[in-house]
Amino acid sequence: MMTELPWLYAAMTAYALATFCAFYDVVPVRAGRVARHAMNERMVLGLLLVGVTLLVVTLGERWLRLGHGPFVNLFELLISQLFSLGVIYALVYWRVPLMRRSALVALPLLWVLGLWVLLIEPADSVLPPTYHNNWLWAHVGFGKVFLSFCLIGSGLAGVLLLRRWPLFRSWFHTMPSDKIIDGLAWRFMLIAFAFHTLMLIAGAVWAQDAWGRYWAWDALETSSFLNWLLLGAALHARVSYKVPLRLGAVLIIAVFVFAFFTYFGTPFYSEAAHKGVI
Amino acid sequence: MMRWLHWLGTTRLTLLGMALLAIGAALSYDNPVTTPVWVLVLPLLLLALNLLIAIIINPAINRRAGLLLFHIGLLAVVVLVAIGRLTSMEAHIELVDNAAFDSEALFNVRQGPWHDGDLEQIRFVQKGFSVDYRPGMKRGLTHNHILLADDDGRMQPLVIGDDRPLLVNGYRIYTTSNKGFAPRLTWVADDGATVSGSINMPSYPLLYFRQANEWTPPGGEAIKFWLQVDAGLQEDAAWVLEPNRAAGTLVINESGRRVELQPGQSLVLAGGTLHYDRLSSWMGFKLFYDPTLPWLFISAILAVLGLLLHYWKKFSAEPLLINPSADDQSLTLTGGKTA
Repeated sequence: MMTELPWLYAAMTAYALATFCAFYDVVPVRAGRVARHAMNERMVLGLLLVGVTLLVVTLGERWLRLGHGPFVNLFELLISQLFSLGVIYALVYWRVPLMRRSALVALPLLWVLGLWVLLIEPADSVLPPTYHNNWLWAHVGFGKVFLSFCLIGSGLAGVLLLRRWPLFRSWFHTMPSDKIIDGLAWRFMLIAFAFHTLMLIAGAVWAQDAWGRYWAWDALETSSFLNWLLLGAALHARVSYKVPLRLGAVLIIAVFVFAFFTYFGTPFYSEAAHKGVI
Repeated sequence: MMRWLHWLGTTRLTLLGMALLAIGAALSYDNPVTTPVWVLVLPLLLLALNLLIAIIINPAINRRAGLLLFHIGLLAVVVLVAIGRLTSMEAHIELVDNAAFDSEALFNVRQGPWHDGDLEQIRFVQKGFSVDYRPGMKRGLTHNHILLADDDGRMQPLVIGDDRPLLVNGYRIYTTSNKGFAPRLTWVADDGATVSGSINMPSYPLLYFRQANEWTPPGGEAIKFWLQVDAGLQEDAAWVLEPNRAAGTLVINESGRRVELQPGQSLVLAGGTLHYDRLSSWMGFKLFYDPTLPWLFISAILAVLGLLLHYWKKFSAEPLLINPSADDQSLTLTGGKTA
């Protein structure tokens, strides 16, 4: 019996309420705006943390039941990703007040994963023999931090793009100038780049131990290397040329979309994400 | 001359090299035999040249310790990967129980032109294995027992597996999913000449339904063998493959007559007598050698440390944390700037 499912549903409810609170914040009211704004931000943060806690219980239940961590099938990869994205997003949301309104963009993106995990078969999995390796933890951990900072950067990039339209301008009018948001978004992408590099290194060490080669151009390796090149090229282009802010925002979102397909699209065009996984 | 040098170190060339490398990487997906290695080598050479010149002439790189370390680390990785390809070796070998590693028995050998490893340093004897299987025939851990010769020539027991390679003199030897049974046979020809050896049956349990092979004894006719194995295989439950506990009946087609042999039994055939001594097993190993591996790791880590040093300096100079003012309409950077 999948005892973890009720906890997962509760966690997704908490994430949904956090998203609702973020949007409720932009509904125009005549008075008490500042007080409601502060309370809503605390609600968003609190609900995100409740969701993260419930996901910890979900993962723990599943781990105890199956005897291994969430590393194998898409269902458990999505749960663990929802956890890591939630925990890092909440941490940055707390520490960097400036980016909080970008939750209007980032939380719906998070919800794409939330809806997906609710729609797929919650199948059990078996840990392949090559997954009994400590470098797997480092590889997966660095990858999760990379995607989390990509999500935060994409949230800010989304603000840059959306507030061109009058409809959305009022949503983000409390945020600073485009230039400051652009600088902040790229700073998160710089952090993402460092963790992506670490993910590739840890993955290569794991692959050497697991399959007797450190690189074999399998589906995930090829896709993640292309993603690293894209982010590296975007960072170089921004530093060396006057990349317009909105083009920069499009580049950030392109990196995030590429990363999203690397993580979650690979199972659709490759039977085994990593070559020799079984 | 200097103009050319500057052009070779520009970001424009970096971006071109990255684009070409991305195309090469995409073409290399799944290592198709039709894709030449040059689709990767040429962009890497271009990027290495670009990187080297940029490190020398670009003050944005060579005056920032972190960025300098990162780019030198990247350059070292590219150079080491190239050296690794030239000096590496990959090969496979199958060993039956109690057989010693023999470099002459290697097959599927691929090695770089500068490979100078000493295969004679690899001295171990295969001593059997067990493999855990979970429900649904999902392969778990492999526990492969060997006797490894130490520096004094004494044989020490050791267990290796898919993810626990044997490390000898820079060589890494892994077990693989390719393994099976090997009936041990002795052929005594009519003239008294004796030959002993093993017949490696197809991989088990992958090809459990096709455990057949053929052998022609010296002075005899080709013999077709089938092996009926009772190894406790279960498709829907967990089980352990332990060849030394398995029972195997050897089936021989002799002039249209089906003959079953148990271990210890013999069969008189044209030209001699076949003895089925016992059921043994074989393990397929993968051998990998690349002397650059530790240096690759160090270079990559140094590159990341350089990147982190650069971030630390950059972020310290321009703090990230921004404190919103009370009315949320203006925002003050902790560095004192106002937006």
